[in-house]
Order: sequence, then structure tokens, then C-alpha cells
Amino acid sequence: MSTHYISAEMDLQDTPLKVQELIESELTKHGEALRWAITQVDEETQKLTLEAIVIKEEV
Amino acid sequence: MPKDSTALLLVPTGIGAAIGGYAGDAIPVAKMISQVVGTLITHPNVLNGAGLYWPMDNTLYVEGYALDQFAKGNWHLQRVNSNRVGLLLDKGIEPDLLLRHLQVAEASRATLGLELSDYLVTDEPLEITLQTSASGASWGNITNPSSLLRGADKLINLAQAQAIAVVTRFPEEPPESIVLQNYRQGFGVDPLSGAEAVISHLIVQRFGIPAAHAPALNPLPLSQDISPKAAAEEIGYSFLPSVLVGLSRAPRYINKYQSNSISSADVDYVITPASACGGSALLSLASKGATIIAVEENHTQMRVFPESLGIKAIRVKSYLEAVGVIVSKNCGISLESLGPNISRLERL
Repeated sequence: MSTHYISAEMDLQDTPLKVQELIESELTKHGEALRWAITQVDEETQKLTLEAIVIKEEV
Repeated sequence: MPKDSTALLLVPTGIGAAIGGYAGDAIPVAKMISQVVGTLITHPNVLNGAGLYWPMDNTLYVEGYALDQFAKGNWHLQRVNSNRVGLLLDKGIEPDLLLRHLQVAEASRATLGLELSDYLVTDEPLEITLQTSASGASWGNITNPSSLLRGADKLINLAQAQAIAVVTRFPEEPPESIVLQNYRQGFGVDPLSGAEAVISHLIVQRFGIPAAHAPALNPLPLSQDISPKAAAEEIGYSFLPSVLVGLSRAPRYINKYQSNSISSADVDYVITPASACGGSALLSLASKGATIIAVEENHTQMRVFPESLGIKAIRVKSYLEAVGVIVSKNCGISLESLGPNISRLERL
């Protein structure tokens, strides 16, 4: 297993719950989320920046 | 005054929080808030002051990954009288530094009466690397995470440890490093704490028991230019004492709600830096009706304010004002009634 840093830009959603669901869905594509946070929100472009640490199991 | 409410105090680690981003410098905030609520939940980053700590009966020491699971409703918190703490030491720690940490463990048994299991040294050096993300937050990587998890597994299954205190050898920053100089003077981001979170999160995620981390580092050259906010890390050979104390009474994590456990639905207040509202625990609790109190003067490197994510929050300037909000709401006093102007009622 190994840990990896990921940064991604995503569309802002209209409720905190939808934001969380979208992020978690996105992170499952990269591995298992260990720690994540939105680090920036651009209200003009309606985009958020996400930084995360994910776990990848070696095959 | 009613005090049966529950509050969660969040100061995310490794993001340069002006209050709580250094060495236990949010402990006074936690002490103050604990006086006006029945239960305060907060994380090791808030309560660890290296060799300094302040145990509080109504304050629960909950690791960050566990906080995220708790906030989602996946885990609940079960108070305990004590935990048997297992000490996991990185094979990469030099013999003298390792001995210093063993002496901390022995001292905590003799002077504080803590219960520790026999200790374990990992089967490989863990080899920590430190990084800074694009946002300016600190994070890090473990070259041998499997060795970390094998060690924790043995402590739990062979030595019956109920919580894991892990000490890993962190790379030394040269004393002239700008990042280190800033940190010692009370500015910038703690370059270690993001990696510390990764280490403790891995253990909690895998085993579902309390864990916390202390870095092993050689003492820095004596300096007359140390900020009081960073001074707790200058006064000893180890940051382990507060970790052992915190873990010795950390609540256990349970999957099934029991009548005396604490669940996310019990959280009445979440107190957070106003610019750091983009974490998992906060988003979960904002969706569950907790009152979010966003403290403006606790600046961080983040730029995620509650309104930008649709989070309804009460903005306050300081933690002193945050306590006023909690006391007012606990007493049923509307916040508007305390201001100089009160709007008239409208006919529906």
C-alpha cells in the first residue's frame, strides 16, 4: 500500500451535502480517501479546489 | 446555566492556523469552551502541547480521521475511564533518541499512573518525507506504511493495546531554514503536522482505535527568539507526553450506537476558523443542523469561507465572542436581542 497526494478542481454545488458527495465520489476513482479538504472556492467560476491524501493498495 | 450541550472545536492541522497552528496554542481556547458546554470534542492537534497538556474531564480527544467518521454518523464515541496505550517506535530513530522516548513512557507510568503495554519498534525504518501542497498546507508521505501497520497490529493483538501512540523519525530541517525559523517565531505553517495527520489517520482507518503521533527530532539550538506559541516544543527532548495523556482517556470508536455513547446528532455547536470550512467533518455536521460558529481572527492558509459552500454559520471575530454565542444559545437568549438595534416583527 502507499499514500498519494491529489489535487483536483470541481464544480461547486448548491448544498454542503452535495459538495461532500461529489468529492467522495471523485476520490474513489483514485483510491481510498484518508484526508481531504477544499482549499479554495472561486465563486466567479463556481469551481472549488480540492486537496486529498488517498491510499492505494498494491496489486 | 444549562451546560448539557456538546461542542466540536476544529482547528485543522497543517494549514497555518494563527491560533492552534503551533504547539498546543489552542489549549486555552479548549479550556474556555469546555467551561460552557457539557461535552467538548476536539482533536490531538488542539490538545497536544508537547510536554504540556491540560486534561479536562468533559473533553474528548478524538483523532481527525475518527472525527470525520463520527461527523458522518459512521462511528460513535464511547467514554472510557482509561486506555492501555501501546507505544510504537520507528526503527529509523537513533538509539539515544529512542531511549529518550522510552524514558517519557516510563515517566508517564511512574508519575501519572498511565497504563502502557510493552513497546514495539517497527520492522523497517518508516522514512517520512515532508511536502507542501499548492495551497500552502503541509502534508507528507511514509515510505513504508505497511511496516507502520504491522507494528500497530502486533501492539493491538499481542500486547492488547487499546490506543496507539506512534513516534516516527522526522527529517531535520536545518536551523537556518526559513520555514523552521518562521514556525519558531510564530508565523507560517507547521511543516510537520500534515505528515503527522497522515500517520495517525492510517492507523485509525485500519484498526478503528484511537491513535496519535509525536515526531522524534533532535533538540534545536537554543534561541532567544522563540514565540510563546511555539515554545512548548523547545523545552524537552520529546513531544510524546501530551500524546500519552490524551490517548490514555481518549474515547473508543464504536459502530453501533449505544445509549451512553455520543453520536453526531448530539453535536450542538461546531467552532471553526472562518477561512477553513472545507473539511469533511464540518460539511457533514453543517448538513445535520449543528450551529456553525466561524471565528474570523483565526486566520489560516485556506480560503474557504462558510457562505461560499452554502453553510449557514454565525460569524464572530474571536473565540471570546464564540463562547458568548454558545452561552446565549444555551440560555435561550436570541443573539439579536444583545445588539444595539433590534428589527421590528413583520406581519406574515
